[in-house]
Amino acid sequence: MRRLEGRTAIVTGSGQGIGEAIAMAMAEEGAGVVVAELREETADAVRRKIEEGGGTALAHATDVSQEPSVDAMVQACLERFGKVDILVNNAGIYPTSTVADMDEDEWERVIGTNLFGTFLCSRAVTPHMLQQQGGRIISITSGRGLQGADNGAHYASSKGGIIGFTKSLARELAPAGVAVNCICPGVSDTAQPRGHRTEEELYASAARIPLGRIGQPADMARAAVFLASDRAKFVTGQTLVVNGGAIMQ
Amino acid sequence: MDSKVVVVTGGASGIGRATVLRFSEEGYAPVILDRDAEAGAETLSLLGSEPVEGQFIRADLTRKAEVTAAFDSILSARGRIDVLVNLAGGTFHKGAIHEVTPAQWKECLDLNLKTTFLCAQAVIAPMKQAGRGTIVNTASNFGITGGAERTHYAASKAAIIAFSKSLATELAPHGIRVNTIAPGLTGTERVRGKYDADEWAALSGTLPMGRAAMPEEIADGIFFLAGDESDYVTGATLHVNGGMVMP
Repeated sequence: MRRLEGRTAIVTGSGQGIGEAIAMAMAEEGAGVVVAELREETADAVRRKIEEGGGTALAHATDVSQEPSVDAMVQACLERFGKVDILVNNAGIYPTSTVADMDEDEWERVIGTNLFGTFLCSRAVTPHMLQQQGGRIISITSGRGLQGADNGAHYASSKGGIIGFTKSLARELAPAGVAVNCICPGVSDTAQPRGHRTEEELYASAARIPLGRIGQPADMARAAVFLASDRAKFVTGQTLVVNGGAIMQ
Repeated sequence: MDSKVVVVTGGASGIGRATVLRFSEEGYAPVILDRDAEAGAETLSLLGSEPVEGQFIRADLTRKAEVTAAFDSILSARGRIDVLVNLAGGTFHKGAIHEVTPAQWKECLDLNLKTTFLCAQAVIAPMKQAGRGTIVNTASNFGITGGAERTHYAASKAAIIAFSKSLATELAPHGIRVNTIAPGLTGTERVRGKYDADEWAALSGTLPMGRAAMPEEIADGIFFLAGDESDYVTGATLHVNGGMVMP
């Protein structure tokens, strides 16, 4: 039995990595998926992959940090699918620098994409979820949001902010039966950590993870499907850590 | 003999019963360890014509000898234990700190924490041998927030969280995952019985989602933590509480 049959899911940043895995997994579970991704070609490539697997998808070039772009994306979702049941706020960037050397522009870009983007997308889907008295919002945070980062205070701030935002929105939307949660990955086998780690460093980090391996996008996708499914309807305001035990909470 | 085996302590009633039924639906052979034989028999009768057979073993899980005997008999009969769900426990008595007798304190800690320790200890060898296995322990919102007149209960539940993280670290190299489920207000018969209808409605209304959990919803969270869906999750605490506590 497919667990998301008939649902509509928006997954931001789903052109690659964790977002792509979540989009593919949700489509496999029967959801119609909006592949909301900055680059049109990457969005379209994932859409094709989903359709080739027998799923339903809409590609939409979306800049989550821009209100008109987000509104257009949600509008396109409604036109195609008539509703939105699930939002996955996954789009994010992680440039590195110390606070001492941090550019104001870079600060704005990181907070603007990761945190403000999560706000904009959540705000855009909320009226529709309130109207149908149900829905799920799942945002991807990070272990850096819990423990800080020595090379990316903007990234850590944005991810910590997502947790505070999630708990608040969970309280606000709980009476309407809308559940709002975070997934907290650790080091993952995606392009993002490769921006600031060598391959050796990336795989060496596995030695510090109790389960002995870095995370795979599919690990996060399974958690996202769970949180989006009927089996997690009473889970809200929570941060589900999917990190092989790297941080336990 | 080929079915996966789940052992559910406190599986005779409440969340335990819902958990036994959930695993049974998923094709596991459930073994119930509980003090209450009558409720245990009733739970087994609810398995109906499920494809795999359930089993009830009456045991006082605060006694190591009884725990050892129970797990030995499960292993000799079934040959495997895939999942252990430690649900035995409860609040039992509330009281201001000066009213809590050392005997009550010890009883509460034994029934919640020691049972968890002893049963976890009993599955380590077979799970290590199999190179896999999952353990789900049960905390509570009170393990995070504490609770007036629940010092003993809250202490035991906070202890279970720390125990689970420690055990998760210890067993991760063996492919064994250990996680904690933390229910909030849940409408089991035992909990419901402590309140009249008005009190219950008022209490449920204080949760962000405006109601208490159904035992089945906690069982769903337990099944997630125990199964392959959470393959990369260990040492974690999953709160299924309608937003009652957001740690």
